Amino acid sequence: MAFLEVRNLTKDFGGIVANRDVSFSIEEGEIVGLIGPNGAGKTTLFNCIVGYYRPDGGQVIFRGRDITGWKPFQTARIGIGRTFQLMKAAGELTALEHVMVGAFLHQDDREGARREAMEILSFMGLERVADLYLTELPLAIQKQVGLARALAIRPVLLMLDEVASGLNPTETEEMVALLKRIHREKGITLFLIEHVMEVVMPISERVIVLDGGVKIAEGPPEEIAHDERVIRAYLGEKYARGL
Amino acid sequence: MGALREAFDFSDFPLVERVVFGVFCAFLLAFPWLGVDSFGMAVMIQFLLFSLFGMGWNTIGGYGGQVELGKAQYVGIGAYTVAVLMVRWDVPYWVSMPLGVLIALGYSFLIGYPLFRLRGHYFAIATIATSLVLQDLFTNWDFVGAAKGIELPIKGTSLLYMQFTDDTWYYYFILAYFLGAIFYMNWFRKSKLGYQLRMIKIDEDAAESLGIDARWCKIKAYAIASAFVAIGGSFIAVYHLYIDPESVMHLELSIMIALMAMLGGAASLWGPIIGAAILVPLDRYLGSWLGGHKELMGLDFIIYSAIIMFIAAFEPRGIWGIVERFRGRRG
Amino acid sequence: MVLADAFIQGILMGFLFALISLGLTIIFGVMDIVNFAHGEFLMLGMYTAYFVSISLGVDPLVTLPVCGAVGALLGILSYYGLVRYLLRGPMVAQLLGTFGLMLFLRYLAVFLWGIDYRMIKKGILVGKSLTVGPFHLDMTKVVCALLSLVAFSVVSWVIFKTRVGKALRATAINREAASYMGIQTERMNALAWAMGGATVGVAGGLLANFYYIYPMVGLLFCMIAFATVALGGFGSIKGAFVAGILIGILETVFPILGHLLRTSVIGPQYKMTVVYLVYFLVMVFRPRGLFGWEH
Repeated sequence: MAFLEVRNLTKDFGGIVANRDVSFSIEEGEIVGLIGPNGAGKTTLFNCIVGYYRPDGGQVIFRGRDITGWKPFQTARIGIGRTFQLMKAAGELTALEHVMVGAFLHQDDREGARREAMEILSFMGLERVADLYLTELPLAIQKQVGLARALAIRPVLLMLDEVASGLNPTETEEMVALLKRIHREKGITLFLIEHVMEVVMPISERVIVLDGGVKIAEGPPEEIAHDERVIRAYLGEKYARGL
Repeated sequence: MGALREAFDFSDFPLVERVVFGVFCAFLLAFPWLGVDSFGMAVMIQFLLFSLFGMGWNTIGGYGGQVELGKAQYVGIGAYTVAVLMVRWDVPYWVSMPLGVLIALGYSFLIGYPLFRLRGHYFAIATIATSLVLQDLFTNWDFVGAAKGIELPIKGTSLLYMQFTDDTWYYYFILAYFLGAIFYMNWFRKSKLGYQLRMIKIDEDAAESLGIDARWCKIKAYAIASAFVAIGGSFIAVYHLYIDPESVMHLELSIMIALMAMLGGAASLWGPIIGAAILVPLDRYLGSWLGGHKELMGLDFIIYSAIIMFIAAFEPRGIWGIVERFRGRRG
Repeated sequence: MVLADAFIQGILMGFLFALISLGLTIIFGVMDIVNFAHGEFLMLGMYTAYFVSISLGVDPLVTLPVCGAVGALLGILSYYGLVRYLLRGPMVAQLLGTFGLMLFLRYLAVFLWGIDYRMIKKGILVGKSLTVGPFHLDMTKVVCALLSLVAFSVVSWVIFKTRVGKALRATAINREAASYMGIQTERMNALAWAMGGATVGVAGGLLANFYYIYPMVGLLFCMIAFATVALGGFGSIKGAFVAGILIGILETVFPILGHLLRTSVIGPQYKMTVVYLVYFLVMVFRPRGLFGWEH
């Protein structure tokens, strides 16, 4: 029984088929990446899994349970965490408080939530920014706080939405190291959708490629990098033939 | 109990604020002995009452970020429950008031469920609509006196019915509610629901991703707000001893409540109090001054609305927002 | 027969409702803001017709262009004086801001003209009736309905057939893309407010021919406009038209129904309640209305 299984997922938006018959599965403890050119349907797929959209066809099965069409707060409660590409930062909550909100899923009182939140921030080396408001933090740190927040709900599967967007090369390296640590020390399965190859390729054990709403390839990063269909999807017909 | 400790724990407020609050409380406690006239007393009572309303509104409108303009219907529910029960069956206040709160809670869950499928403007308009519907219904319902309203029988001084001949008693009565509300709100903003609500306001999608059922949280906050307001309504019934749909369920009442909270600074503990402190005296003194000048009728609302527009355009976070800006905290 | 009569009256009023709501839906379509002061624009249009016709001694119908101009001016002033700043803020601020404008205009009217009801008593239409077959129709209402229809058509033509209208629609559909194409969105915003104000100003001028003129009249028609726009779909012009007629029929037929069914529960005092309920039900069960999210 696969950890996460997506079967024949189809989503269409009144004429535009964003995902057509996509199937794949993820095993517990893996790190899997999802790539594809712009408009390939990655975000739609992501949203269908977490519950932001309801698929028009197919199923999403998590740990043996059919969670197709479940709402985001429901998928979160059974252990699927996610990060956001953009952190909406308003001055009202500090970094610590953001993470506390996550911790409140499994805690009922403030002290417990604060303790757990502090632990996570320490794990990520962010103790010093705990009492700062998100608006006062640079983008890279904001994203790390977002990651901490997602970790606070004690997920078993963490879905990362373009976690490296907006980061410079150094910050990207830091993020990759952080993700590896989270995977190793917390044993969380990671599923990343990404544009930035420097993030996906080094850490993924397996990569899935979408193009035009359809899955066109799947396999270890080295294979994918040389796959003709993948290259064609990204760079066009010319380059593929040139190989 | 931990909750009680939390309610009285103001330690995360800066020292300055705590001191000012302490002094203010001392002032409030001593107020009736400071030699004010009956008009001043009435203004203070009104101020405390509206602070109560504002704080209640704040749970959903401020912390929750859902501006709603239909609170007056709950004032009506609270007031009418007490009034009707007393007139018809001589029910004491301490039975009818909790009943009124229960009805308010029940009703708020009932209409909250469909209401919170909406957001933003649509939601605000819908809250106005529901309040107007209820007002219309009450105006035509003979059981509650229809448009004529209800006049409560005078019981002299009675703790059972919470009626007094001396305003001082009413003052301490509403002051007790006021202080209770402050302690409750202090607990609320540090509670799980409080944090979840604030997260919902900042980014509802993010909140959902953390396992928060946003809709249900909003409904809970809305219900709490309704209960607060219903309690205030019950006070109005025994204080004024006369209620009718026009006076307790008026749309303008809903607007004033929301306005006070927003003027003072929604989403802060002190905001509604500050807003009430400015608008209630303004309303009362302006109102009585205008009463003598019939030709200037309407001027009061012209002033309020100008204030509203100004705040909306330049500092939607209200006076408290300006204070915070001074302190360097950005929003 | 009484029912059929009410039905026709409803349709006639419906044209006017459609015109009233047109402005609201245009503003919303272009910039996603709900103008709470819409009813007050209508009210001021009514007062314009009243004062101009009385002071110049002309027929109220002649004042219509003035009403439209006043409405347009109001719209532009509101935009540049207030709304422009509201756009920068959170939704809460926008709500609050136009709400403040509503109160401001309403109580300005109270201040300037008192709360007394006024009525236009002189005019070629006032008091005349038209007999079509078995129906006796109020001439005023018929002409107003027809003029509403004309005004509605004119505005629709401008929006769908002129370049300016196309620019407006482009901004409504996708603001960013429109600005890339060189359309100045600020101007489009102001234009939307000007058009919205003008249409409802004219509607006010028409309404003044047979309805009481008083400062609070705005609230009444504001809710009708909201219900209409909600039912038709926020931003949909076609929707405003169809929904206007439906609400018109609902509003006139409803009290008659009560009379016919001999219950006093359904009566004219609940006319507005029905309208509010329509709004509520539409928003809960079909938020996009009949033709929503399109132009």
